[in-house]
Amino acid sequence: MDQLPVFFDLKDRWVAVIGGGPQAARRAELALRAGARVRVFAATLGGDFETVIRHPDRIAHVPRLPAAADLEGVTLVFCADGDKACNAAGRDLAKAARIPCNVVDTPEWCDFTMPSIVDRSPVVIAISTAGTSPILGRMIKARIETMLPAAYGRIAQFVGRFRRKVTVAIKSFDGRRHFWERILEGPVVDRVLAGRDAEAAAEFEVELAAAAAGIARSRTGEVYLVGAGPGDPDLVTFKALRLMQRADVVLYDRLVGDGILGLVRREAERIYVGKLPTEHTASQDEIGAMLVRLAQEGKRVLRLKGGDPFLFGRGGEEIERLAGAGIPFQVVPGVTAALGCAAYAGIPLTHRDHAGACVFVTGHSREGKVDLDWTALVRPRQTVAVYMGLSHLAEIARGFVDHGADPALPVAVVDGGTRPEQQVVIGNLADIAQRSEAAALKGPAILIVGTVVRLHETLGWNATGSQTS
Amino acid sequence: MARAGRVALVGAGPGDPELLTLRAARLLAEAEAVVYDRLVPQAIVERARPGAMRIDVGKGAGHHPVPQDTINALLLRLARSGRLVVRLKGGDPFTFGRGGEEAAYLVGHGIPCEVVPGVTSASGAAAALGIPLTHRGLATGVRYVTGHCRDDAPLDLDWSGLADPGTTLVVYMGLANIRRIACGLIEHGMPADLPAAAIARATQAEQRLVVAPLAGIADAAQALKDQGPVLFVIGRVVELAAVLGADASEIERAYA
Repeated sequence: MDQLPVFFDLKDRWVAVIGGGPQAARRAELALRAGARVRVFAATLGGDFETVIRHPDRIAHVPRLPAAADLEGVTLVFCADGDKACNAAGRDLAKAARIPCNVVDTPEWCDFTMPSIVDRSPVVIAISTAGTSPILGRMIKARIETMLPAAYGRIAQFVGRFRRKVTVAIKSFDGRRHFWERILEGPVVDRVLAGRDAEAAAEFEVELAAAAAGIARSRTGEVYLVGAGPGDPDLVTFKALRLMQRADVVLYDRLVGDGILGLVRREAERIYVGKLPTEHTASQDEIGAMLVRLAQEGKRVLRLKGGDPFLFGRGGEEIERLAGAGIPFQVVPGVTAALGCAAYAGIPLTHRDHAGACVFVTGHSREGKVDLDWTALVRPRQTVAVYMGLSHLAEIARGFVDHGADPALPVAVVDGGTRPEQQVVIGNLADIAQRSEAAALKGPAILIVGTVVRLHETLGWNATGSQTS
Repeated sequence: MARAGRVALVGAGPGDPELLTLRAARLLAEAEAVVYDRLVPQAIVERARPGAMRIDVGKGAGHHPVPQDTINALLLRLARSGRLVVRLKGGDPFTFGRGGEEAAYLVGHGIPCEVVPGVTSASGAAAALGIPLTHRGLATGVRYVTGHCRDDAPLDLDWSGLADPGTTLVVYMGLANIRRIACGLIEHGMPADLPAAAIARATQAEQRLVVAPLAGIADAAQALKDQGPVLFVIGRVVELAAVLGADASEIERAYA
């Protein structure tokens, strides 16, 4: 170990910062966050200090370089000036006064280096590469940020509130350890993260009373209804990822790709529940029953859906079932397919010159016929996104025209949207069926109908696989 | 030669920093400049690389918004100085985010531009409150409109297109005009007792939900006046809020 990590209490102590640029501003900001008082030595302060100097009682600007007398009573010195000579001067002063000093981008002049910080106060994680590679430090930081929810600190605060009480209630050390492990992996934590402290506290008290009385409460299972986004694993949310890594069993359908399934906890049991438009692997009723049964067995059940669970995902029906059976559940929204396709195909869904409204429908058929409310779809200044419409594309395009739409109205078919194999076929109501047939698309696909499609020509940033007419 | 800069138009999601996508977080961690709106919570802006420039171009109706031209010029200047610029927008950049205009401007000036979709506020609100946007027997689709009009121009909404009871209607930024919107919908045939929800700060700890029949939603929503932008969900799916949502104590009901 090259350096010793320590956490320094700076509350109401003075910190000197030399420099007025962005790096100095970040140092000053960090010191303020740790409760220090800051004196900034710089001819002028740059724009980055704007947010920092909102605390005038804790920060003072001195428009010159420090003299020896200025460092009296100072605990730490940061030399963060753009001018190396200024930093050298500051460092010499600090050294003479025996004050620990940090100089930006100059590890050989530092008494201490600044770590990359993941702040989940009161939990604080510091990462050091001993000045060898700040970039590596940032990458590690990004990975840890992924693992810890932003509100993680609230868990520590919550637990802190109950620590004494638990110590009194549960006498044995092992008993307390088991209790805390159970709490920290259970639904109490999710309630705290969701800001529902009162519910969390009530649930905690029940658990504690049971544990103190020596009653082994069987773990109640729960269901996470999670939107996995449009296909690119990079479009999964942190919350989805966290629950994916906690699940005991996952129920997924065909819209969830392998890349995303790879993010689920390796030990979790995987159950495929369909459904291709032609195959019905498990009926909605069976899926509902399965969710209830697995949760009643005490499992953490992940119901993973492509896109967003509450948009054509039949998520409402599934949670109706869970609510009826008294099973706790959480719903995690996702990036719905139309938004993913729009972004990756460079087609804004709303635009000042084109559309002030957008509407999402499904092209699903009922008894072999597409069942859409055409008069509500054929409107000026409205973009229509059709989910699951590829197999009825010709019929849908004809329906628009039959109900008064201009046959030249642009249409895009985004196939395999956001995935590496994404293909975009551009045409109009009159020719899109033919064009898309020629491209031999496989689905899933989203149709986008409206004049916004014209913007694809300039905005199709993800040019790979794009077939423009 | 100076390194070429680029701009990523990034959706920050509905509010909860946990609902950032992995891609959005990674771009923030690499960003050299972050240009963000009022709708983006500070906890998300703080995900930006330490040392990145952070520029607030917060737009508030009537609060002297930074004009779109100025934002475009700023993005162009930052990118031309060789920076990776993250343009962070609440929700999704291509849904009422004027992301299309910014992207077109930048691409027109030869700046490479990437768009990262985000969880739109309506999906965030739906999940947080247990209101599916589509549901068997209640809604076969969903329509999104904005209730905000430019430069205080009159509302230009396609009323007969919106008054479609089989489709859930979501109104973004609608608080200022909700009375006119509700009246217009009822005049064009939406039932006056159709359930409507007004939602503020969805997915954040301080989220608020008010439920009322369409005829009374304008009055009921005034309770959310100082809570930031208000999202409206209008349609029969709102009935499910009490059944499926977080518990009923969080729902304020108002009956006209």
